[in-house]
Amino acid sequence: MISRVLRWAAVAAVCLGIVPAWAQTDAGLYEAAKKEGTVVWYVGGPLEGMNAIAGQFQKEFPGVKIETMRLVGIAQYQRFMDETGAKKYIADLLQNTDYPSISQLAEDGHIAAWKVPTFDRIPPQFRLKEFAYAQYASTNGIVYNVNKVTPDEVKLLESDWAAILDPRFKGRFSASPMKCGVCYAPVHMFMDPKFKDRYGAAFIDKIAAQKPASYSEVLVTIDRVIAGEQDFTISGWEAAAAVKLLDGAPIRWVFPKPTPEFGNSWLGISKYAPHPNATRLFMNWLMGDAGQIAMEKLYGSKGTLSGVPEQRPYVNDAWYHAPVEYYAVDWKRWDENYHKDMDLWAAALKRAK
Amino acid sequence: MIRRLAWLTMAACVVFVAIVPLVYVIDAQFYRETRVGLANDRSLVAFVDVFSSAEYLGFLANALVLAGVVTVLSLLIGVGWALVIGRTDMRGKRTWDTLITLPLYLSPFTGLMAWIALGSEKTGFVNVVLMAVLRPFVAQPQPVFNIWSYAGVVYVMTLFFCPLVYLFTVGSLRGMNTALEEAARTSGASPLTVVLKITLPLCMPAIFASGLLVFILGAELYTIPGIIGSTAGFTTLPWRIFQDSTAVPVHRAHAAAGGTMLLLITVVGVWLQGRLTRVGERFVTVGGKGFNGRPLSLGAWRVVAWLALAGYVVAADLLPFGALLVSSVMKYSAGVITAEVLTSKHYAMFFTTQNMLGALWNTIFLAVLSGAVCVVVGFLISYSELRRPGWATKGLAFLAVLPVAVPGLVYGLGLLWTFLRTPLYGTVWILLLAYVAKFLPYGVIVSRTGLMQLHPELSESARMSGASAGRTMLSISMPLLKPTLMAILFFVMLMSIKELSASVLLYSQDSEVLSVLTWHYMDNGDYQFAAAIGFVQTLIMMGVVFLAQAIFRVRLDRAFGRETPA
Repeated sequence: MISRVLRWAAVAAVCLGIVPAWAQTDAGLYEAAKKEGTVVWYVGGPLEGMNAIAGQFQKEFPGVKIETMRLVGIAQYQRFMDETGAKKYIADLLQNTDYPSISQLAEDGHIAAWKVPTFDRIPPQFRLKEFAYAQYASTNGIVYNVNKVTPDEVKLLESDWAAILDPRFKGRFSASPMKCGVCYAPVHMFMDPKFKDRYGAAFIDKIAAQKPASYSEVLVTIDRVIAGEQDFTISGWEAAAAVKLLDGAPIRWVFPKPTPEFGNSWLGISKYAPHPNATRLFMNWLMGDAGQIAMEKLYGSKGTLSGVPEQRPYVNDAWYHAPVEYYAVDWKRWDENYHKDMDLWAAALKRAK
Repeated sequence: MIRRLAWLTMAACVVFVAIVPLVYVIDAQFYRETRVGLANDRSLVAFVDVFSSAEYLGFLANALVLAGVVTVLSLLIGVGWALVIGRTDMRGKRTWDTLITLPLYLSPFTGLMAWIALGSEKTGFVNVVLMAVLRPFVAQPQPVFNIWSYAGVVYVMTLFFCPLVYLFTVGSLRGMNTALEEAARTSGASPLTVVLKITLPLCMPAIFASGLLVFILGAELYTIPGIIGSTAGFTTLPWRIFQDSTAVPVHRAHAAAGGTMLLLITVVGVWLQGRLTRVGERFVTVGGKGFNGRPLSLGAWRVVAWLALAGYVVAADLLPFGALLVSSVMKYSAGVITAEVLTSKHYAMFFTTQNMLGALWNTIFLAVLSGAVCVVVGFLISYSELRRPGWATKGLAFLAVLPVAVPGLVYGLGLLWTFLRTPLYGTVWILLLAYVAKFLPYGVIVSRTGLMQLHPELSESARMSGASAGRTMLSISMPLLKPTLMAILFFVMLMSIKELSASVLLYSQDSEVLSVLTWHYMDNGDYQFAAAIGFVQTLIMMGVVFLAQAIFRVRLDRAFGRETPA
């Protein structure tokens, strides 16, 4: 009880800016980090959001500079491995959106084990032993244009993914055949053997029969909804939509049941990090209260650390309904079936034309 | 001896920078693939799959057909404008020159953003305005334009490539000796006959060179056909190469084999160019004697020409640049622009975003330096090929042109593997090498075309007067070709500023460039900020060209056209 009170007090103090973050951390680590001066962070997430988060860290820990370099998914894995093979050790911290890639790196011994101080508060599905931690969770949903979809239709869409098969939605929505984590998560769920009667390949065929517009880039699907070109997209997820909502775009989203949620943007420290202390300090901060609060405030995605006060501004709006039935991805099946399932999905979308 | 040594050094550098990465690319297709890259053991699976499967051959056919259609249309329009501006009495040529070449300052993917805003079926600015205009007259007006279609891809690509054709051909037309035209006219030939039988055939090297460039660039372009094509329901080989290189599971060997396939297409193209223009004297239009030509009179056709040019300027300049500017000041995409969607924050962000100013400096630095290197090395290669023909000089000219064909993504991988273990890795210098290797072909092709139109009698006179070969090159050939060399400089600078596919593989946190940052923000879905960066990038291109023009006292539009020597 006392520890919980103390924890909440500490979080509140950080939120109110009473206690400087550097004062709460291991002074020795910060001193060593200042001597190194820099962290090279290979980011897979959106650059603007990650730069803002890095900027917040720099404010809290003067003397340690974060240099971001954006490399997404498998491209980051390959670049890191090419550099490692050539003994060009540049990256300190990896943030990879592709779980199998970070998992492979850890398995092959390229990621250093580092138990962050908040380890016990990170749910098991958001950590990979002591090697990597999901910075935030991605939650799939249906993103719609408020001027194009009626309240009744919103209610219908919220009920179940099968609602998109309603005849009234034919030709009104879009999807993306792009191969990426958030693009695959709903397909992964549709193809789950336990849902074979409810969804499965037949369900994907039925979606194709609804004649969805198909865009090669998943974020284009959301942009086209914002513009009013499409009424809604089934390839949406909260973080991407939230950024646009905060800009004033006429969109909202619902979480049909069940709602795929998975750890995204996995953070792992390179075993060959040129700035090991600064990197560990930064990692502790990112996966600590202050870093998670900064992430939710500055990027708008849902953090993975439990016990952090909600920072996302839209969750208190009347239209917002949190997911009621989560679907947890199966990483083993994800890795095995990703390509096959996405090919099936892409072929269905192609048939829809 | 020293000259030979210098040439050998240059040849060795060219081979190392341009050819070694290609060897890596060609070699990569013969490895077994794993989920995340290449295994250590050899395999023919990717090679056989790409070169024999109906799927990949279909992607290649799609790319070639698309490039062919775009090349034909670009040649028709570009040469048409070049004829009007270069050979007729059309008024306001300087203004038209500038307006026709304006799309060169737009990169394909920022232009694509503009056209998505303009040409989307329900919310594109063009359809919104047209439907509002038609509504009083038509009960239910339908959208007239849809960018998300095959025709949309062709349209956008053609608008991008027309200025290239124009620039490469208007020079030849301007600098042409009109004696043959005059003779034909005096013999009673109609203006159309003169153009078809005399003017255009004399201009064939330039037309063919520009057609070849457009075809190669069109065949390797992945952004426009990829992003629009997947919605329109077709896939081209470059887009598949992009997917094979970037999506899990990665098919690096397939991507390398696809790149090799495109390389072979270029080899055929370059060989064809050599065959068609092998009798160089047929195309000599700049000799030792001066001439003054009389332009063709347009007469009543001037109004038609003016209207057609104005229509082109609206489509190629006004609409995309306007849309890009409007997009850059919007908070989010919208079909109807109201005060509440407008913002100036993206331009403020440009100066406060981390890495942006560094990227700005790197972009300008690399553009100037790669332009200068391509001018000098490209000219030297062409000069030695044409003035001292031999297997070594011809071989070097052939090899230097090859990288143009390989998609930047695949070629960038070759460069990465070549320079990964050198101190250049992670610095701006590796980007410089990438740009030089990628754009040197333009230096070679354009300077070769210029040199072919320069009669050797000028150099021979200098040599007979006792000048050395080097002195002749510096005092005769280079000054006469100054506008052509400036054309290469401008063109390579513009291409360097726009280059993305190799940059995105080779940049580091200390060597970011604007095109990479624009791509990242686009990739994040922040299209409006990307539009702002794209617009600034366009202004920089204009500024760089303006400065170069002021320093060298040559205008871009004139640079591609050599002035008649007095």
